[in-house]
Amino acid sequence: MKNGKDTANLISETEKSLAVGCMEAALRHGARQVRVSLNKSVMDTCSMLNGKLDKVAHSADRSVFLYIFADDRYGTFSTNMLDRDELERFAAQAVDSVKILAKDPFRRLPGKERTEKNALTGTELGLYDENYNIMSSRKRVDIAENECIYGKGGCVCGESRLISEECEYSDSVDDNFTADSDGFAGRHTEASFGICSEMTVEGKDGRKYSGYWWDSSPFLDGLRRGYCSETALTKALAQTGPERHKGGAFNMVVDSSVSSRLISPVISALNSASIQQESSFLKESLGEKMFSEGLSLIDAARTPGKPGSRLFDTEGVATKDMDVIRDGCVKTYFTNTYMSLKMGIPPTIEGISRPVLLPFGNDNGQQVFGAAEIMHECGTGIYVTGFNGGNCNPTTGNFSYGIEGFAFRNGKITHPVREMVITGNMLTLWSRLIHAGNDARACTRWQIPSLSFEKVDFSG
Amino acid sequence: MNRQYFLDRFHVTVPQLELLTGTALSQGGDYADLYFEYSTYKDLLLRDNEVSSGSFHIDYGVGIRVLKEDRTGYAYSENTEMPAMTSAAKAAAQIALSGSGKAAVQYGKPASIKPHAGFYPVEKAWRDSSMSGFIPVLKKLEQLIYAKERRTVKVVARLSWSESEILMFNSSGELTCDSRPMGSLVVSAVFSENGKNENKTSSRSFRMGAEMITDALLEEMSDEAVSGIDARFRAIRPKGGKMPVVMGAGASGILLHEAMGHSFEADFNRKGQSVFAGMIGRKICSEPISIVDDGTIAGNRGSCNYDDEGIRGQKTYMVRDGVLNSYLHDRISAAWYGLEPTGNGRRESFRFNPIPRMRATYMENGNASREDLIASVKKGIYVDEFSNGQVKIGEGDFTFYVKSGFLIENGVLTAPVKDINIIGNGPQALMDIVGVGNDLKIDNGTWTCGKDQSVPVSCGIPSVLVRNLTVGGNQ
Repeated sequence: MKNGKDTANLISETEKSLAVGCMEAALRHGARQVRVSLNKSVMDTCSMLNGKLDKVAHSADRSVFLYIFADDRYGTFSTNMLDRDELERFAAQAVDSVKILAKDPFRRLPGKERTEKNALTGTELGLYDENYNIMSSRKRVDIAENECIYGKGGCVCGESRLISEECEYSDSVDDNFTADSDGFAGRHTEASFGICSEMTVEGKDGRKYSGYWWDSSPFLDGLRRGYCSETALTKALAQTGPERHKGGAFNMVVDSSVSSRLISPVISALNSASIQQESSFLKESLGEKMFSEGLSLIDAARTPGKPGSRLFDTEGVATKDMDVIRDGCVKTYFTNTYMSLKMGIPPTIEGISRPVLLPFGNDNGQQVFGAAEIMHECGTGIYVTGFNGGNCNPTTGNFSYGIEGFAFRNGKITHPVREMVITGNMLTLWSRLIHAGNDARACTRWQIPSLSFEKVDFSG
Repeated sequence: MNRQYFLDRFHVTVPQLELLTGTALSQGGDYADLYFEYSTYKDLLLRDNEVSSGSFHIDYGVGIRVLKEDRTGYAYSENTEMPAMTSAAKAAAQIALSGSGKAAVQYGKPASIKPHAGFYPVEKAWRDSSMSGFIPVLKKLEQLIYAKERRTVKVVARLSWSESEILMFNSSGELTCDSRPMGSLVVSAVFSENGKNENKTSSRSFRMGAEMITDALLEEMSDEAVSGIDARFRAIRPKGGKMPVVMGAGASGILLHEAMGHSFEADFNRKGQSVFAGMIGRKICSEPISIVDDGTIAGNRGSCNYDDEGIRGQKTYMVRDGVLNSYLHDRISAAWYGLEPTGNGRRESFRFNPIPRMRATYMENGNASREDLIASVKKGIYVDEFSNGQVKIGEGDFTFYVKSGFLIENGVLTAPVKDINIIGNGPQALMDIVGVGNDLKIDNGTWTCGKDQSVPVSCGIPSVLVRNLTVGGNQ
């Protein structure tokens, strides 16, 4: 990791000046307050099919978003036509459009005291890797080729037959410059390097099974190479020969690669906009114990060098590390300036940045406390390694998800299961949390480990 | 279409387009195409009894694709000045550097579909309407819902409309232009009773002009938004397990989209990944069943005058009389199979290369009545309102989420049910369709398919009886 002032340079000074000019044009045309956000990104992708190059893609985007506050009215606008004259017309049209809307006195920029003051270069959190500058088409193809195992010695399928390997390497840089008419200016620059692989096999039963795995990092050297295809193949092969499993109420262990699916509806329900719209199963929950004591969730927003970290949210408000849920008790709602004024509650942050679910139930103090250790603790149940569709009703918290995974007994996997569905309510589910591991995947923004719950309804 | 209007829109000439495709093929590519897009999107949002939020967005650029054998090089530019486009063409051209030396593949084969007048009826162009003129539409929709249901506590309504101007040119010299309108109206309402909240949503979306907004539409949507609220408050979670499922006409078409349609997309079959790979010409379900993917329904959200590779919109029988008849092809898969494209090469925007995608997917009518299908079930469920679905292509396992329905007990609808997931296997579910109704309905909601990229689609189905699916529920 390298961290310097003039590394990224995706957004040029000229482009910053265009964005600021667009904001000033909106003010000239009658806006009372304006926020402007300039996004620029570059991405290269190299896809392999069965060990051969299948697709290369290069994308480069830039766009200006204007948030106009005029006469107690509000609107959002964007364009990717960044010519100076075009932007002048765009800003004028945006202000005219806002003026037809109904008044909304709660719309305004955040107070100056809440905005971030130290996001000057975009690289303060160390999320830009200068190795991005040495990437070339050849290097990208080399990485993708080296990841493939199709036709190589490591590609052992036993009684199954390999149908296809789809493997992809990509890298990108995202650069954001945000400023407002109250003097806020902030920049966030982030690189990302990623590999993913999907393997499809045909089992001896004639059915096809697929496995998927991925890794990513803000740093090229942090990218774990040479194992995605192997892991995806292992996952595909493990699913062959599934058995029907009778429905019932079982212990459920959820693998860390998919466990974020279960906390996501809880985080959404803590959004003040959902609560104000009567569309949250966590209304009137602030300060209340709603879940198992084992559930503690923090927002580690300002962790240097980690995916998802950021110094400011989309309003420019400074993030902070904070408790979201502590020992099952709700500690915060996500409340932007608008919802704060409208609901008469203190503003916090617009949304979570880097959720981290803390370990729980590791009574034996095991150093590694992942799905295998949790299954051992649980004894018998269903180990969920993937979700297949489903939904959670945000108003009631009722959910139903298709799952894939394995039955386990005495802590050991016995057989893969198929066509099973879990059904329940989020409040009940999270009150039945037994364990939370310490195996969240380093490559993910959402740091959610393997989990276990008791008495989950499975249909099969 | 006035070609010159489109050329002027993107500040290009035909010789420049030829120069660009030439550059794109300079490394040995077999085929190149250019996809120019200028899109405007506008919306108005009603919330808390006021239309106090609105937006517009402009998107402009050109995508350049090079094909070499089955491989794709893709790049795009957000400005259409020659240096920027030439740079993108050179980036896309790189794909040809790793060729195997095989003979050039013919991707440019023109489709033999007769010219047609177009599938987007526009009497009143969105661009000719002022934004402020639509504010009363949202307020009226809200008023209708409050008037029809006293338990209403919140209404959120959004009207959005977009217009896209598209110019396509390829290395075979084909130049195609299209203007694509889209209007969408979505309303969600929250109802409260004895401290419990329930919500319902209604949506409509059409490729047509502002004439889609009528009093009749607002009445229809407000009726739909409040219908079945009593049942929703009384709804239970059924006991889960395997059981017969009667799928109501219309939105149940999600079954076809998820369980079958994706597996019929030719890219998955070309790679051998689909559960239906190698099964063309085989009987895959009972004879009365025909499943269509149709880009020719006037005003339909999934319709295409041309797909995003310049192939004319058409109607494709995927299953005809129980036999797998055709996959859904883009130019790549069509060339691979030695067939003509079926007009399914679609993309989200100029930022994406086209891939095989569905349009409006539906099953043709059978002979049974809805009542007969329900009456034939001793113990099962009837479902009629859905949200999202998903499929695993290789396994064919699909799921979709049921927002509302009813238990069927001894041939009669009884207790309402809600919030359950249904899971099954595509080929098996097809084989298990034992009754097809005569009440085909196309659902005109805001369906969007998310296979790598988002594209507008629609779906439809008559009432059908599936003998055995796994229904989530209590134990």
